[in-house]
Amino acid sequence: MNARVNEHTAPLWQERFPHLAGGPIDVEPYVSPAYFEREREAIFRKVWLNVGRVEQIPQRGDFFVKRLDIVRTEVIIVRGDDGAVHAFHNMCSHRGNPVVWDSKGKCNAFTCKYHSWTYRLDGALHHVPDEKKFVGLQKERHGLTPVAVDVWEGFIYINIDPQPTQSLHDYLGEAGRSFAGYPFAEVASACSSWQVEVKANWKVCRDAFQEVYHIFSLHGRSTGRMFSSKSNPYLNVHEIALFDPHSRISVPANLDWQAHPVEALAKRFGILTLQKQGISSHGMPSGVNPTGAADWSFSGFGCFPNISIFVSQGGFLTHTFWPLAADRTLWEARIYFPQAKNLAERFSQEYSRSTFLDGVMAEDGGIFEKTQSMLGSGAKKELILGDEELLIRHHLAMVERYLNA
Amino acid sequence: MSDDLLPPDFHDLASHLAWALPTEHARRAKRAASSMVEIQTFYDAMLARMEAVLAFLAQHGVEQVAPAIQRLFLLATALAEIAPAVEMYGEPTAEGLDVLRLTPVNIYPERV
Repeated sequence: MNARVNEHTAPLWQERFPHLAGGPIDVEPYVSPAYFEREREAIFRKVWLNVGRVEQIPQRGDFFVKRLDIVRTEVIIVRGDDGAVHAFHNMCSHRGNPVVWDSKGKCNAFTCKYHSWTYRLDGALHHVPDEKKFVGLQKERHGLTPVAVDVWEGFIYINIDPQPTQSLHDYLGEAGRSFAGYPFAEVASACSSWQVEVKANWKVCRDAFQEVYHIFSLHGRSTGRMFSSKSNPYLNVHEIALFDPHSRISVPANLDWQAHPVEALAKRFGILTLQKQGISSHGMPSGVNPTGAADWSFSGFGCFPNISIFVSQGGFLTHTFWPLAADRTLWEARIYFPQAKNLAERFSQEYSRSTFLDGVMAEDGGIFEKTQSMLGSGAKKELILGDEELLIRHHLAMVERYLNA
Repeated sequence: MSDDLLPPDFHDLASHLAWALPTEHARRAKRAASSMVEIQTFYDAMLARMEAVLAFLAQHGVEQVAPAIQRLFLLATALAEIAPAVEMYGEPTAEGLDVLRLTPVNIYPERV
């Protein structure tokens, strides 16, 4: 059995990744509108972006619409007649109106409300009312504009670049392969999902999910002691791994945690989202508990640029940060649950949902706007990062790499 | 009349039915607007009966739930909703982002 990491024996990650050792980081990327515009063009218009999961569109004709302000468009994601996932800009070829106004639904064809131009599920322009008045119209040339789309382990990714330079498979690379085979579909039977617009830069938000050093402090009244322990008070992690531009982090549990009364009841009927004592990574892919630690709680796949996928036994969750402006972000949080066999198991899931609301959405979310308000003060030009916060430095370096490519 | 609101073995919880709210937002709003005395009273009453409540709920599937059973489930869900106030914070809400700002989004298909 692996020894538990503690503050005396933990390695310095910067010794393993010396290119990321170094001094303070600049505040500028977190506050600058000009930097934000460069991110829009060099990153969000170029890379694969996760927009959801296949469970959102299980049947032919199921669709959802994703508003993507960062790339100034709206995308329809639909299950086609061929059973495959298709994506299109939500824009009628006739006069530019969005052809779908609902956020999700099911249909046989998309009909624009403006003049009832109709498109098949594969995007082909099918019907133009009073077509004879459109002299010389070549319908086959005026379907919905396609968006590159592909699926990894049930996660639907789009790429707004008309000709992506990399396949999704190549883009996710070894990081993706290390989580492939996790039973995502099995534990995505139900989903609790929230969104909220916060007045903070998208990287301020993402940074909170790239380190667990804050857990003993920020979550000191709620979930902190479920993770940090006597032997590992500041929650030094089991592993940090880099797969440019992505990353992976593996987080310990406090095996001595004594459950609260309602938590103990909930635990009897399901594996809780946040409390992770007595779980196993047996049979799971190598990225899930990469060091084989006995005191393992969860692992995170930091998928560049804007989604973190956290996996554990019995469930997974995601945080996605959609940039709106240099100081505004749409935060989407989703926790996934297996099919509840009865109402007691549902109660267990509701307990997970409730503690997630307090211990993550309220407590982590509270930091974003407060931090941004001070970053914008101009009082400091630099910030300091510790060794356990190496993934923040890594992410900033990856952003820079794309901006300078 | 009120005897029909909850399953026969749980009529003693009828005085707490104001907590049997159908949405996360409504339960969270009630939690935020309640005093710790009110929250603790509900917590104590529910916790004392939760062994029996969960044994009962474990015998019922999640589809087509009868109204009285649904109310009992919502009371249990409300306990989950307020438990952090009692067990973690000692005050009605967590410090940080107001969760009432969050928009719950049902991303999965709604079939009739």
